This record gives sequence, C-alpha cells and structure tokens, in this order.
Amino acid sequence: MAPEDFIALLPLLVTALSSLGVLLLAAFHRDHRFVAVVTSLGLTVACFTLPVAAGVAPRQVTPLLRIDTYALFYAGLILAASLAVTILSYGYLEKQEGQREEFYALLLFATLGAMTLAAASHFAAFFLGLELLSVSLYVLIAYVRTDSRPLEAGIKYLILSGTSSAFLLFGMALIYFQSGTMEFVRTAALAGTAAFPSTVLVGLMLILTGVGFKLALVPFHMWAPDVYQGAPAPVTAFVATVSKGAMVALLLRYFVEIAAFRSEMLWWAMAGIAVLSMFAGNLLALLQDNIKRLLAYSSIAHLGYLLVAFLAAGPLAAEAVTFYLTAYFVTTLGAFGVVSVLSKPGSEAEALDDYRSLFWKQPWLAGVFTIMLLSLAGIPLTAGFIGKFYVIAAGVESSLWVLIVLLVGNSVIGLFYYLRVIVVMAADGRRRVRPADTAQAPQVSYADGLVLAALSGFLFWLGLYPAPLIRLIQTIQRGMIGS
Amino acid sequence: MTGAFYLAALVAAVSTGLVITSLNAVHALLYLIVSFLAVAVVFFIFGAPFIAMLEIIIYAGAIMVLFVFVVMMLNLGHRAIEQEAGWLTPRMWIGPSILSATLVGELLYLFGSGILNQAGGITAQTPKQVSIVLLGPYLIGVELASMLLLPGLVGAYHLGRHLKSEDA
Repeated sequence: MAPEDFIALLPLLVTALSSLGVLLLAAFHRDHRFVAVVTSLGLTVACFTLPVAAGVAPRQVTPLLRIDTYALFYAGLILAASLAVTILSYGYLEKQEGQREEFYALLLFATLGAMTLAAASHFAAFFLGLELLSVSLYVLIAYVRTDSRPLEAGIKYLILSGTSSAFLLFGMALIYFQSGTMEFVRTAALAGTAAFPSTVLVGLMLILTGVGFKLALVPFHMWAPDVYQGAPAPVTAFVATVSKGAMVALLLRYFVEIAAFRSEMLWWAMAGIAVLSMFAGNLLALLQDNIKRLLAYSSIAHLGYLLVAFLAAGPLAAEAVTFYLTAYFVTTLGAFGVVSVLSKPGSEAEALDDYRSLFWKQPWLAGVFTIMLLSLAGIPLTAGFIGKFYVIAAGVESSLWVLIVLLVGNSVIGLFYYLRVIVVMAADGRRRVRPADTAQAPQVSYADGLVLAALSGFLFWLGLYPAPLIRLIQTIQRGMIGS
Repeated sequence: MTGAFYLAALVAAVSTGLVITSLNAVHALLYLIVSFLAVAVVFFIFGAPFIAMLEIIIYAGAIMVLFVFVVMMLNLGHRAIEQEAGWLTPRMWIGPSILSATLVGELLYLFGSGILNQAGGITAQTPKQVSIVLLGPYLIGVELASMLLLPGLVGAYHLGRHLKSEDA
C-alpha cells in the first residue's frame, strides 16, 4: 500500500484507533466521563481528517474500498451522527447502573463498520462492514442488562439479522457464480449490457432482501418496532440513522455502478417495497401510543419515501436520496435525542402520557421535539420539507406519477400522528401542571442541550438555506458517477 | 468429481437438517460437527485443501468441542451422569457415524481412484498462495475481520458477566 492509501484511509484508521484506545482505557482506568470525552475527541479528529483524505480522492484502496468524495461525505455524516449519539449516551448512561465504558468502544466499532459500508466497492468489504456494524449493534441494543426488554430486543435483532445475512451471502454467492468476481464494477461489466442473467437477478433480489432488512422496509420490517422500543434511546437513534444511512449509501453506489434498473423486474420489486413501506409505516403509526414505536413506524415510512427518489434514477435521484437522508439524520437524531434526555433511570420516556403538557413543564425540550416532528411531517421552513420537495421533484422528472400521488397521500396520513403528539404536549394548560411536576422533570445537561440546539440549528439551516449543501451534494455525485 | 460434490453436499444438507430438528442440544452439536466435516470435504474437492483443514481444525475442532463442553457443563448435578449416559445411547451416535463414514468412504475413493491428480483437473491452492492473496489485495479485509472479533469479545464479556459482581 502506498502512503496515499493510508491518507485516504485516515478517517477509518482514526476511528479504529480510538476504539482500541477506549478499550485499553476501560481496561486500566474506568472513568465514564473521560472515556466519553476520548470517544468524542476521536470522532472529531476523524471528522477533521476527512478534508485531508479528500485531497487524495478518488482513490481505489485495494480492491475492497473506494475512497471518493461520495464515500467521504457519507463518512462525515456517519461520524457527526455518532458524535451526537456519543454525547446523548453520556447523559443517558450516567443515569444507568453498571459498567458503561464498553458502550463507547462498541459505538466506535459500529461507526467503523458503517464507514466501511459507505466506502465498500467489493462484496468482502460489504459483508465485513455489515457484520462489524451488526455485531456491535447486537450488544449495544441489549446494553442495559438490568431490564429484560433490551435483552429481548437484542435477541430479536440477532436472530433476524443473522437470517438476513444468510440471504445476503447467498445472493453474493450467486452473483459470484455467474460473474467470477466480487468487485462491484467488474460484476457489472461481466454481467453483460443488455439484461441480467437469471442467476444474477435472483442474486440481486436476495441482496435486496438482506438490505431491506437493515433498512426495515416492509415486508422485512418486523423487528423495527420492538428493537426501537427495547433499545436504549441513544442506540435507537444510532440504529435509525447510522445503520440505515450506511446501507443506503452502499445500495446507491452498488445500484448505480451495476446499472441495476436495466432490469424492470428489480424496479417493480423495489417500487412494491416502497409503496408497502409507505402505507404500512404510516397506517401502523396511527395506532401507536408509544413514542418510540411511533417513530419506528415513521422511519419505515420515511425509508419508503427515500426509495421513491431511488427509483426515479434520473440525474436528480442520487442528489435527492443524499439530501433526504441528511435531513432524515438531523431530524431523527433530534427526536430520539429528546426521548433520551427525558428518560429517567430505569424507565424511558416512551409512553405518549410522558409527554402530556410538556410545553408547560419543559418548554425548550417540547419546542425542539415539535420542530423535529414538523420536519418529519415535511412542514415548510424545516429540512424535512426541502427533502420531500427534492424527492417529489426527482419523481416528477422521471414521471413516476403513481408513486408521487401515493407519497403525497401518505404525507397527509403522517401529518395526523405527528400533530397528535404535538397536541398532547400542548394539552392541559399551565394551571393544571403542579409545580412538583416541573421540579421532578429531568434537568438537561449543557452537552445534551448543545447537541439538541445544534440539530435544531441544522434543521432550520437546511430548511431555509439549503443551497450550500445542495451544491456540495452535486459535486460529490458528479465525482461518483464520472469515475 | 461432480458426483463426489453432490454426495458431500447431500451429507451436509442432511446433517444440517438434523441439527435443526434435534431436540437435544448435544445431539444437535454432533450433527453440526458432521455438517462442518462435509463442508470441508467440498472445499477439498474443489482445490482448497488449506481452507478444508482450517474448517476442521477451527470449526469442527475447537469451536464445536467448546460448545459440547459448555452444554455438558451446564447440566451439573447428581443426575448429570445418568443424563449424560442417556445421551450417548447407540441410537444417538449411529446417525452421525453413518454420515461421517460416508464422507470417509468418499475421500478414500477419491484418493484411490486418482481423480484428484488428473491432468486438466482443478489445481489445489497451497497455503502460500492463500496467504499472498490475504496479505495482498485483501489486507483490509483481514484487518476488518480482526476488528470484527473485538465487538464479539467485548459483547460476550459485557452480556455474560455476573450482575452481582458489579457492586464491588
């Protein structure tokens, strides 16, 4: 490997080294605050190495990884999300009993796996990155051992994730069987230009199954509500953002490189999944009285919206996917951040009743939660609106009228349950809230407050002045397709 | 050659099916070992003797023996010996033995008939060739796999620890 290869790999190397550092720290000197600070520093340094790595991009580092601006953009997104999760976890774990230091090492391992997925250009890197992410997540989900629900969620995720990996591997094997190579680009060249041989098509369908599980798309979504509910709130935020974002990054790169949509069957399969995800997500969210489950179903629906942009496959499509995902990252982190901050030792703030008259108890938190929900619903001035607008623009450009109509209809259904939460938060008025309730409400630490404020800031910035991000995304997308 | 593959693959499929349907964990593990051996034979037939060897040493050997030990140790108590004697009735080991004997017979036939050494057949990959590939183009893969073991280890430690000892 040349020195430039190491420069290109810097963000991954820094993350890997921080995880080892955290492990060693935990072995010799257990100190929750210190470990959390080291983790945050490691992630920040990794973020600062992104421009350095961009200096040598695009670069194929061994057949396994391709470090281009596209991979680095997603790596930045993943690192920033992990940083937010780290800070939220510190506040959350302070309230919990037991050893806390391993949590941060596992978080860093999972981040490394996610960044590998974003840069993967080979089935081996794809699978290893995915497993690194998944194995860390099994433990992170079940991390709070004093409660039985996280353990249940962890087991569910373990079994279903293992099954989906089996599908994925079989799909890869079939494609390898036909093409004799595991590199994404060469798979495309060998599979012929006209149509996929049936082996490759079956392989792609099986890969789509594995990916669909990770993205919690209907009909592979069964795990999502239980795992979202059972996992500690910061981990839920991680599962909802980093784990899904990395998978979308990989799917987008893979499908663009092999020009997957020359197969109409694959297109229709994905369109079916998108429609099912939108409807099942939104309709089932209507029935929920639990905020974490509600957000789980809402994220299923959001991934359905994302697939609509994915299916548009025009020049706007890749841009729309990346922008939508960025907005989704900011919003979801903010929403679960509020849930995490409101959680008390031993009981999470997940029932709708926990949010009753929150406006009168903790106006700032309620305000942050409200704008996050409005952004999820796609109300103007928020990032969610621009994201949805982008998706619809991409769909219109490719004349996907049916999908667009379904998307708009679903947004209306979505509006109902998001507004219901806001109404509950505003309920009762000031007089009915006793001062004792306000005194009992958990205090928001400076670090948590800063994260939530930063996320709200990003949300408005993307909603009011998205031009800089759009320009950035356009440059990176040109880099990916032109290469 | 194709016939040899299908025979070994059949043994693998049958024994894996029996792993799933066995009610007793120890019996299931016996079939799982046979399944690994069958997969090793498949690797061997297609010119990967090094991987076949690793499959036997690591999976069928180390990991499975560890599993059997753990499962047996979990049943401590005065009735354990009686129970373990019950596990190893002839009916229980006849199934895995027949499947293993099939594999041995197949291997002996392959060696005896000389099919493996035919010109134009599959050339076996030596450990040296495997290492050169692993530490060349797949270097990052090897490093990632080693990183993959760490969360597994940390997770097993965290989830397997006794909760009571935390008070100290």
